[in-house]
Amino acid sequence: MKAMILAVGKGTRVCSITNVVSKPMIPLLGKPIMESLVEHLRDSGFDQIVVNTSHLAPVIQDYFRDGSQLGVELAYSFEGQLHRGQIQGEALGSAGGMKRIQDFSGFFDETFAVLCGDALVDVDFQEAVRFHRERGAVATIILRDVPREEVFRYGVVATGAQGRITRFQEKPAVDQAVSTKINTGIYIFEPSVFDYIPSGKSFDIGGDLFPALVAAGAPMFGVELPFQWVDIGSVPDYWDASRLAVSGSIRGYRIPGRELAPGVHVGINTRWNPARTTVRGPVVIGSSCSIGDGAVIQGPAVIGAGCVIEPGAVVRECILADYTRVSSVARLERLLVFGNQCIQPTGEHFGVEEAGIGWVVDDARAKQEFAVEQLELLELVRTIAD
Amino acid sequence: MRFEENTVGDVLVAKMLDKRIAADVAPRFKAHLAEYMKLGNRSIVLDLGEVGFIDSSGLGALVSSLKSMGKDGDLVVCGATGAVASMFKLTRMDKVFRMFGSADEAVRALAPVGQI
Repeated sequence: MKAMILAVGKGTRVCSITNVVSKPMIPLLGKPIMESLVEHLRDSGFDQIVVNTSHLAPVIQDYFRDGSQLGVELAYSFEGQLHRGQIQGEALGSAGGMKRIQDFSGFFDETFAVLCGDALVDVDFQEAVRFHRERGAVATIILRDVPREEVFRYGVVATGAQGRITRFQEKPAVDQAVSTKINTGIYIFEPSVFDYIPSGKSFDIGGDLFPALVAAGAPMFGVELPFQWVDIGSVPDYWDASRLAVSGSIRGYRIPGRELAPGVHVGINTRWNPARTTVRGPVVIGSSCSIGDGAVIQGPAVIGAGCVIEPGAVVRECILADYTRVSSVARLERLLVFGNQCIQPTGEHFGVEEAGIGWVVDDARAKQEFAVEQLELLELVRTIAD
Repeated sequence: MRFEENTVGDVLVAKMLDKRIAADVAPRFKAHLAEYMKLGNRSIVLDLGEVGFIDSSGLGALVSSLKSMGKDGDLVVCGATGAVASMFKLTRMDKVFRMFGSADEAVRALAPVGQI
């Protein structure tokens, strides 16, 4: 079967992280979200997948290539232009991106699935496709029931007999919402859906296509299936998702490395002496890390590959990207360190360089050069730490 | 550089009204604190409640002011939240400075009993 992953979103809600990687590439325990999606699609019988890309497209393409290493055939639909070596995105909208592929090659010639690349899902696609075919639907949306106070974040759907969709509201006010069933961004379509999408024009699935289908009286259904939906669309979401993953609370999600102490998973080629450090799980330490003697790591924590935790450093409940160096004087608590940014779980962030705190936390590969005043501070903190 | 000053007994509460204490303003910031000391203030509460960002030079200016104050005076910090609180914590400056949640708490801690 065929599928499409929507990967063009700029990810403004997690912009402090997506400045470096595009949203589908945001790593959960070192593994991009999109890799888990491709694996799940493959295991559900989808062997041909097209991914639309624009923002930071090369990062996605360099990682997934033709998909063969994951056992699928992958292709990319690039939405944008290369202008003087810089990629400029071209907003086509989610439905516009589908239409572009169809106009290009007629790829979608059977029932197909479309899903967003920014949430980890394990929906039962076979059940969804069965539901979709049984009703002769043009479009089927996988729905989820959420608490009423959260409806304003989503597209809300009202259904009638047999799950037929009667109304669609995009991000309604809490008191205006016609139901608490929301669009999860996972769809099953028939190729005939393209009759409702104009060519060469920005067109959104939730905002344009669904209202058009409702207006035309096309058979559109919604099905509520039980499945895990781990959103990483905002910094607080990503923070929660990482902590769930490292704690083993995401069903079926593999924790990398070997469990060398209870709840402490460690990658290969890492220097760590458990007897000389205090590491309390759940913690994942990537490969090629150096954990200095006297360091304290308190979980839930994720230490990316190639990180250097200097002797005596304290890292409590943090998520550190690959190659983060934490100085021996540092005390990191409840922080994400990503792309040279210190990000709080609320999303508030500041740059390591901007704040002049390279002497506390920086890139492990960077040459260490500090201003005189920074060295003075470093000395001062060293004396109090002793 | 704007400060709002308030004296409670012998305690001077100086609230920084600027949003940032970074390299460009750090020398003036330090000079301002030195001026308070020169005027005889020996108990100073620096309220950072309005400040959203402090960098390494800002912290350096604070540390050097603390040193100038010496052992016979107090320079304490209050109201730090968000990125500012984070900076104090991750550089362990919260161990160098006495930190308080609010100016009231700081004043209570510095003022001799019965003075407020």
